[in-house]
Amino acid sequence: MNQTPRLVVSWLLVAALLGYGIVQTLITAAKLFTN
Amino acid sequence: MGILSVLDREHTIAPPGYSRWLIPPAALAVHLCIGQAYATSVYKTSLIKHFDTSQTAIGVIFSIAIVMLGLSAAIGGTWVERNGPRKAMFVSACFWASGFLVGALGIGTGQLWLVYLGYGFIGGIGLGIGYISPVSTLIKWFPDRPGLATGLAIMGFGGGALVASPASRQLLSLYDDGYDPNVSTSVAGGGALVALFLTLGIAYFIIMMFGVFNIRVPADGWKPAGFDPSQVKAKALVTTANVSAANAIKTPQFWCLWVVLLCNVTAGIGILEQASPMIQDFFRGADGKSTVAVAAAAGFVGLLSIFNMAGRFVWSSTSDVIGRKPIYAMYLGVGIVAYFLLATVGHNSTAIFVLLAAVILSFYGGGFATVPAYLRDLFGTYQVGAIHGRLLTAWSVAGVAGPLIINGFLDREGKPGTLTAEAYRPALFTMVGVLAIGFVANLLIRPVANRFHEQAATTTAAEATK
Repeated sequence: MNQTPRLVVSWLLVAALLGYGIVQTLITAAKLFTN
Repeated sequence: MGILSVLDREHTIAPPGYSRWLIPPAALAVHLCIGQAYATSVYKTSLIKHFDTSQTAIGVIFSIAIVMLGLSAAIGGTWVERNGPRKAMFVSACFWASGFLVGALGIGTGQLWLVYLGYGFIGGIGLGIGYISPVSTLIKWFPDRPGLATGLAIMGFGGGALVASPASRQLLSLYDDGYDPNVSTSVAGGGALVALFLTLGIAYFIIMMFGVFNIRVPADGWKPAGFDPSQVKAKALVTTANVSAANAIKTPQFWCLWVVLLCNVTAGIGILEQASPMIQDFFRGADGKSTVAVAAAAGFVGLLSIFNMAGRFVWSSTSDVIGRKPIYAMYLGVGIVAYFLLATVGHNSTAIFVLLAAVILSFYGGGFATVPAYLRDLFGTYQVGAIHGRLLTAWSVAGVAGPLIINGFLDREGKPGTLTAEAYRPALFTMVGVLAIGFVANLLIRPVANRFHEQAATTTAAEATK
């Protein structure tokens, strides 16, 4: 049973969601040090 | 039962060779969605204006959801154990998505009670069932690293707000041209709120279905290659025996851990609830103006969210190495020192303030993520999901107690916008006391007495009929 594609898609989905959240939050957080 | 029989536990048993690394993303798919509950502040002001009502009336929506989370996790825990993670995740997705749809109807028709019923009551049930649904399955797939596995999933609950906050702001600006996501006082119209709720409800349902169809339970007797259960038993406090949920709540260990979770969450919520005004108040000059701008305070809240999320994964994984009792001693012991320093020297520098608050919030997240593994150590895997559900009532109590302590003290010290670091000291020293109670409760935890253990035949038969 080749599960590699399923593993890749699964982890990509959560990585994309979390990555989007972290990047957006870091952009907001940067204001703490730039203001 | 036709097509729905695919949700039954017997149809979710993993075939030989199924990768256990498919389970954490399935769990994350659910937790990332229900974690939206912590992002409600994004549209709070818009809801207040739309319904022309008070902060409290809108705040009640979130309170109902959190109370329902605790209640449904406590009451539904045994059902989740019996029916398996796939059916539980599906039910959670239906409740969570329906909550948004009914909430959208309430906003569209201008009836606030429908938002209470939808997002608060119905959505809250989805929250509770969804929160506990993958936990016992993860522990069974990762008997060698339960802290890492549950840390990964519960990290998603912290991460859900990180995703939902910016996504909601961007969607609102898409649906309402007059809404500026970069201005904290900008307000979106009712039509945009309805569209946002509909979008979130549908999107979350689809993402949660991804988890529903990927989740599997391990076959009876499955264990990871090279894993020796006898080595687990050799660790202090860790049992290979099993305790039922009904018996677990009769043990002093359950209630000690309940107090530990209550104290850890109460202390963390104290900062989380007040984070934005708190950093501005701590650095308010003699002229009454704060050196920390509103935008910078929002940045501080974002930073805390990242530490809250990271703490869930990092500390819970660390607990697999150093043990559950020592790591809670760290959360509570170091937390006492951090809160004391915050009260006494936190106002001297923004960097010190941010560092101390970040440490406290990482311990807050860590406390949530490590508790399922602590329960596994004490009570075994038999009904750990149901026991976890009952323990989460401590969260509901802390959700009320934490803000009450902070706001109660601050209300006596002055009006918002005029407070200084000194006004926070009584509340912060109270949190030191709260953490000290939790520290003692953790020290009192001992292995569960043999009389509470299930007979081996009982748990084997129960597993066979699941």
